[in-house]
Amino acid sequence: MATTTLHPAAPAYRSRSTLYDWLTTTDHKKIGIMYLINSLMFFVAGGILALVVRVELAQPGLQIVSEEFYNQAFTMHASFMLFLFIIPILAGFGNYIVPLMIGAPDMAFPRINALSLWLLPLGGLLMASGFFVSGGAAAAGWTEYPPLSGAKFSGTGTDLWIMGLTLIGTSSILGAINFLVTIFKMRAPGMTLFRMPVMVWTVLVTSILVLMATPVLTSALIMLFIDRNYGGHFFDPNNGGNAILYQNVFWFYSHPAVYIMILPAMGIISEVLPVFSRKPLFGYKAFVFATVGIGALGFSVWAHHMFTTGAVFLPFFSLMTFLIAVPTGVKMFNWIATLWRGQLTFATPLLFATGFLMLFLIGGLNGAFSAAVPVDFALHDTYWVVAHLHYVLFGGSVFGVFAGIYYWFPKMTGRMLDEGLGKLQFVLMFIGFNLTFFPMHQLGLAGMPRRIADYAASTGWSELNTVATIGGFIIAASMLPFFWNVLVSLRSGKVAGDDPWEANTLEWATSSPPPPYNFDHLPEIRSERPVFDARHGRTTNH
Amino acid sequence: MSMPPRSRTGSGPLIAGLIIVAVVAIAAIALLAAGITPERAWNSFFPVGGTGGVTDRSRDVQRLYDIVFYIAAVVFILVEGLIVYSVFRYRRKSTDTDLPPQIHGNNLVEVIWTVIPTAIVLVLFALSWQTINQVEAKVPAEVHVRAVAARYQWSFDYLAADGKTILFTQSLPVGEDGGLVLPVGEPVLIDLRSEDVIHAFYVPKFLFKRDVVPGRLNQFNFTVDEPGTYRGQCAELCGPFHGSMLFEVHARPKAEFDQWLADQIAKANATPAPAPSGDAAGPVIQLAAQNVAFTSATLEVPAGPFTIHFKNEDPAVPHNVEIKDASGAQVFKGDIVTGPIETDYRVSALAAGTYTFVCTVHPNMTGTLTVN
Amino acid sequence: MTANPSALTTADTHHAAADTHGSGGIGNPVLGMLLFITSEVMFFAGLFAAYFSIRAGYTQIINNVPTHVWPPTQPIDFAKLLNPFQLFTESGALNVILPATILLVISSFTCQMAVHAIRNDNRTSFVRNMAVTVTLGITFLLLQAFDYSVLMHEGLNMGSTTFGTTYFTLTGFHGAHVFGGVLMLSVVLYRGMAGQFSAKHHDMVEATSLYWHFVDVVWILLFMTLYVL
Repeated sequence: MATTTLHPAAPAYRSRSTLYDWLTTTDHKKIGIMYLINSLMFFVAGGILALVVRVELAQPGLQIVSEEFYNQAFTMHASFMLFLFIIPILAGFGNYIVPLMIGAPDMAFPRINALSLWLLPLGGLLMASGFFVSGGAAAAGWTEYPPLSGAKFSGTGTDLWIMGLTLIGTSSILGAINFLVTIFKMRAPGMTLFRMPVMVWTVLVTSILVLMATPVLTSALIMLFIDRNYGGHFFDPNNGGNAILYQNVFWFYSHPAVYIMILPAMGIISEVLPVFSRKPLFGYKAFVFATVGIGALGFSVWAHHMFTTGAVFLPFFSLMTFLIAVPTGVKMFNWIATLWRGQLTFATPLLFATGFLMLFLIGGLNGAFSAAVPVDFALHDTYWVVAHLHYVLFGGSVFGVFAGIYYWFPKMTGRMLDEGLGKLQFVLMFIGFNLTFFPMHQLGLAGMPRRIADYAASTGWSELNTVATIGGFIIAASMLPFFWNVLVSLRSGKVAGDDPWEANTLEWATSSPPPPYNFDHLPEIRSERPVFDARHGRTTNH
Repeated sequence: MSMPPRSRTGSGPLIAGLIIVAVVAIAAIALLAAGITPERAWNSFFPVGGTGGVTDRSRDVQRLYDIVFYIAAVVFILVEGLIVYSVFRYRRKSTDTDLPPQIHGNNLVEVIWTVIPTAIVLVLFALSWQTINQVEAKVPAEVHVRAVAARYQWSFDYLAADGKTILFTQSLPVGEDGGLVLPVGEPVLIDLRSEDVIHAFYVPKFLFKRDVVPGRLNQFNFTVDEPGTYRGQCAELCGPFHGSMLFEVHARPKAEFDQWLADQIAKANATPAPAPSGDAAGPVIQLAAQNVAFTSATLEVPAGPFTIHFKNEDPAVPHNVEIKDASGAQVFKGDIVTGPIETDYRVSALAAGTYTFVCTVHPNMTGTLTVN
Repeated sequence: MTANPSALTTADTHHAAADTHGSGGIGNPVLGMLLFITSEVMFFAGLFAAYFSIRAGYTQIINNVPTHVWPPTQPIDFAKLLNPFQLFTESGALNVILPATILLVISSFTCQMAVHAIRNDNRTSFVRNMAVTVTLGITFLLLQAFDYSVLMHEGLNMGSTTFGTTYFTLTGFHGAHVFGGVLMLSVVLYRGMAGQFSAKHHDMVEATSLYWHFVDVVWILLFMTLYVL
């Protein structure tokens, strides 16, 4: 127990830091927090764009925006949410928590870490500046398929989008290198690979995916840029180029990117579930192998986004896509087995984690429909796909993100978030989410294509669209208690202490917030739960 | 060494219960408000509202969908059941001071829940593969049509047996006189062609779509086996008006189709493409189409023949001017031209009164024409 | 309770951590560079994949028949223009690509000799070899710039079929990497002249030389695919 009270009088972090310190810091904890803040700002921006889309679709007919702006809205909604919210916020958690979890004083390359951070708002603003140029922001969907995204059909906004995304990709690659060196080289004595928390494993696999996949996206973007601006013909079918080529290169990145967006969230869930059920994670090694398996399979399924192009070897990609379900299923069962016969405390992190399990399951099952190629012929590019990706990335990743925020906020700030507001947020978000996205399954089955600004009343899609729009506003409402909670709790939240959740991993063995360079002393590391071992006097190997 | 349990039990079941009650209540209210019966709700979980496909191949797809759906439903109920059961059954009680058994795992169950899902997905894969072969099978076709997608217009070239010669082009994608007309019960081959961006040929009732990729020839076969009119739509984002790129499939009995096709070919041969007229008759009025809208909502002409100088300023978008009288009957229809282009439409004398002019391709583009 | 000595200071973080683990002596900068090179390999893999996909699908109308041909012979015969084993093009301009290739390969050797020297604490030899490497790198860039001007003069540019697009993209991005490598080598040279490296402390030299070898290997691949095959 002694190890947990080494910094009894750590001052609250706000009082000792000036703005200048924050802007020039190389401390992984401050950088991690700034990652989170930056990501949440783009989350709000992306959310507002989502509401624009939902309001426009609530009823047949164009009500509030033009077709041109509608396309910009959903394109930038997706770009913000994927590249500037989910990926960076998970990297932010990794930044904050990975060095703490492995008992390291900082990341391996603190200055490169700061560079990774500052590239993000730069890239994001570059992307967003498209709204202020003539022709508007990028509008060919976040996938930016040529020829539509080519110079003939898309304006300057697309160039800004390409430049912004290239910077964001560079940020990811540098971050991944930093994570890998940190994890491989900076673990505390006793922290063997198989004693690392699962969160660290997921960041490790994610970083490998980023390292291998993101440069390929960069190459696709650069080729697109050359086609657009320097008279290249990579994707120009009229001059020997190949339009499908872009899709192959793009999805070679963007499918692994889905795992980049979900694996760290799975890691967060895998930290939260054991703590709040007072049991170890069931099947730690199986979980690690499943994570590695998902990462490896992730590179062989990219073309399942292209089944309807007619340019894909269907059976191979169908098989690989189905097989992804196996390691994912293993994880799901291990999580449930972790809850099984535990002693569950429904604090807000566990609520969000349970929400993750319930919703991510749906996101996995409705994905299996699209793995069945002929069914995908019917469902591809309809609202079914929109439902699927939101169940995975919102029901999965975003619920995981909020579980992580509620779980680590005490560590980051020294103060607890309010439980009542947290539960209110969860209830609103859970209901709003399902109202918004569940009906999209039925819309897709009814034949509503995605990315259309309008539809005729005779299609019979209006009822479900209205429901989805109402749900969208409930999700938006659920953010109010959250931001209020953060503001209030920063000032007057309950003081957390070092280890408010009776948790397992090393970050809880230092003060809240941790001092610069994190630890004076570390507990003995004999398992993947060193703090649990110390608390319960289990210092022998199990 | 374990910490005493904190007073943190109690609110969990309440919250969980509230969530479930609220979800059910809101869902029920929303459904009832929209007048949705349980049967309609159930059908909405199947393609095209449970009404099923109308081609030979769509039935194979539907069968596969049903299999996947029922397997997914069973897994869904089982796993969600386990989660919900754990949530209610294993809440920490105030008597739970000692740790629960610290189980780290069990290799047997890991193997079980690896092998069973593997078996399920392999079966699904085998079924999918089989269905792929059915859906993708090439058969000799009776009718060969080339669907040409251009922003934001479909047109359909009916091809001769050589697969090259165009018998005639159906340039109207929707409406009584337009659409992709096909015979029931005859194998059809569709070629897909685009000269601008990627589009996708999608007919929900076919349970099928295929991308129209510039520089690439995609083909597919099917046989429609129910007469009727089926909505089709572009399913790959192609620009701002992607959502208005609609078409219709009219499936007609074989005899009727043959008659229709013969008529269309005869008509196409009888009226050679009208050459742009050299000298305009009567007064000339200006009209332009810009961003899929007419630049003027009202036009005024004196009695007698007149000429509309029509300027289509939308690159790669087809427009025309069609004039309808008060009853909605067509009194003039100009040729559809793809912009940017200028053309003259010569309109013969119209009785004084109020007419509507409209773009045949984009029924949203309308205006009022007054003949004095 | 074990104290973690490496946790107390940061200045020598990686050395302390490396010492604690004794993990084969590979320093953080070297591992970081290896990972960075991995990402660069994937970047070039993307460009190469595009190149081969376009090359495999390229057809040209010859006698009214679409025929697969690479490099294209229209609008000019690129194969003739780019033949690396002819010192002059048909119009008499100098073709410097083979000499440039040889210089780049030599620079990889001199770079490795510099690394070898610093491992043995021979700073004079290190600085000398590194200076030669930097000079060779700059010479390669100048020769490539000259070559571009010749090719453009002869009618090969970004827009001359997909061959021009892929040619200039691949060689251009390689050139940019050479430029980056020259910058890094120059910093290494400067710091070496300032006496900042020793047999014990020269991770940056190792890392930079790895990068330089990578750039060299990419060029050899490019030379083979674009000029020879």
